Amino acid sequence: MDRWSIMTGNAQAPCLTAPDGPDGAPSPVAIPTTAAPVAAVATALAADAIALPDQVGAVIPDTAIPGAAIPGTAAGESGGQAGAAPAALSLEHASIAYGRVPVLHGVHGVLHPGRTLALIGPNGAGKSTLIKAVLGLVPVVDGLITVLGRPPGAARREVAYVPQADTLDPDFPISVGQVVLMGRYRGIGWIRRPGRADRAAAQAALEAVGLAHRARDRFGTLSGGQRQRVLLARAIAAQPRLLLLDEPFNGVDVVSQDALLAALSTLTAAGTAVVVSTHDLALAQLISDEVCLLSGRQITFGPPAEALTAEPLRAAYGGAALEIDGRGVVVTRV
Amino acid sequence: MSTPGDLLIAPFERPFMYRALLEVLLLGTLSAVVGVLVLLRRLAFLTDALTHAVFPGVVIGFLIAGDSGIVPGALLVAVAAAAGFTALVSTRRVTEDAAMAMLLTGCFAVGVVLVSRRESYTSDLTAFLFGRLLTVDSTDITVTAVTAAVALAVLALIHKELLLRAFDPEGARAAGYPVWLLDLVLNLVIALVVVAAVRAVGTVLVIALIVIPAAAARLLSDRLVVIVLASIGLGVLGGWLGLVASYEASVRHEIRLAAGATVVLALVVIYALALLVAMLPRRSRGARSRERRQRRPASSRGAT
Repeated sequence: MDRWSIMTGNAQAPCLTAPDGPDGAPSPVAIPTTAAPVAAVATALAADAIALPDQVGAVIPDTAIPGAAIPGTAAGESGGQAGAAPAALSLEHASIAYGRVPVLHGVHGVLHPGRTLALIGPNGAGKSTLIKAVLGLVPVVDGLITVLGRPPGAARREVAYVPQADTLDPDFPISVGQVVLMGRYRGIGWIRRPGRADRAAAQAALEAVGLAHRARDRFGTLSGGQRQRVLLARAIAAQPRLLLLDEPFNGVDVVSQDALLAALSTLTAAGTAVVVSTHDLALAQLISDEVCLLSGRQITFGPPAEALTAEPLRAAYGGAALEIDGRGVVVTRV
Repeated sequence: MSTPGDLLIAPFERPFMYRALLEVLLLGTLSAVVGVLVLLRRLAFLTDALTHAVFPGVVIGFLIAGDSGIVPGALLVAVAAAAGFTALVSTRRVTEDAAMAMLLTGCFAVGVVLVSRRESYTSDLTAFLFGRLLTVDSTDITVTAVTAAVALAVLALIHKELLLRAFDPEGARAAGYPVWLLDLVLNLVIALVVVAAVRAVGTVLVIALIVIPAAAARLLSDRLVVIVLASIGLGVLGGWLGLVASYEASVRHEIRLAAGATVVLALVVIYALALLVAMLPRRSRGARSRERRQRRPASSRGAT
């Protein structure tokens, strides 16, 4: 069935979920993403666990309604910052291709230190490709990507990448502590062995995601959400200035999602720039300062109040009918 | 009467048995360590492919320079094959099973065709395929020792990078590691093991030395350090027991057992025992958690 919905979870925190793509293939995580964020967002708001960007709380009730989106103050803010600090990530009309096949074009925007960028779009929209291009693993065929003032491949020591936990073999005989220590390898260098400082950093990173007590357990014995937290800990242990996360909230339970969000907000507070790809529009709205909406090309790049509105979403996810129901929006595709 | 201790040690008072034991202990240690990486990277198939590819090299080396040509011939072809396979895999075209199978049997056939032109066809072929463990001389042992030292040193130096690559190749690439280079190094190390083992156990049986101890060790533990140590222990144990069994059967009971193949059989038995050991505690663990599960609904029922 080609049905997907953007629905309201509760008055305070609209929960927007998007489908995987126009092919209508049901996402294996459709249920958790629909159900979990409501509680998670609510907990986060109640416990004030994460530093909310000011404009998000203010704008949420209106953002989903077409035409009601106010060109946000956030745009002005980031414009003001541009001159002051060097950008963590600068995308200038970048086009990316695998071999001769163009995957993504016209990506243009700036991410500053300590800010969070959400990559949104259906499957195959180019979210993972953009992350790989920032890592220097896929070539930029046109335009320019600059990472911490350098070409993508040159900045890898200060960039950390968090893959999806379920891409890793759960039978691999490796402990949680060993996985986190891997984040230090690049800094340690070839041949040399991890020292006391490396172990301390790994331990601290594991504490930051709330899993210090599981250090000796085998990685594969942890739940999917806990494994995702371990991978985030591995990235934190590398002490990056730019952090890239590929769908970190897919199939992740509420507890782990809260732990991930708390750790991420600590990182951004310390000045790390974060790029996170996600299907979860509500979460994107909650945690991001900038949203990059993709569908083979860039639909829009801007503060969530502008980017996560009906027009750009419709452009990204196909010609969907839009119904407005109070504070929530239901997008149905027949 | 001979005590069990005599049984395990007495055979090795004979020089040829002592040399065979030294060779098997060296090979057992080397292949057990490399085997753990083969297991982690799921490279058993590639290892098998390498052993097939090395075979014509062994034959050609032997035809050109006799016994002393075997190791250089094997080394040359093994290095070329390791590089070739690395390139193939990195272009991701190795998924075509049929093409791969054709390539392997093709290599093998080249070796057989070449060796079949000799008068001593059968005995030569047997020696190349299954080795002559009991006739290894001190030169063979030196070659194996040097190979083992080089291979183990390389693994010791880059084990953390190899571990990262095995666990999370995408993460390794993202961190800027040259994954193709790590793959090439590991494939070359595997090729070295195959070459080192060619004289003693032949190109067919070496795969058992690499794969079985590591697989058995994996059954016994989830911890990498323990797996490596257990793999070495089991590899060495299999070599020792295999030699003893082959010697006892041949000398005391006049049943001729080929030494190399008996070592492999000993390893298979060890694997079977490890499988049993691994199944027992798991079943009791399963039973315990089942009991817990049954108890829980009962207590919740009591609460309502």
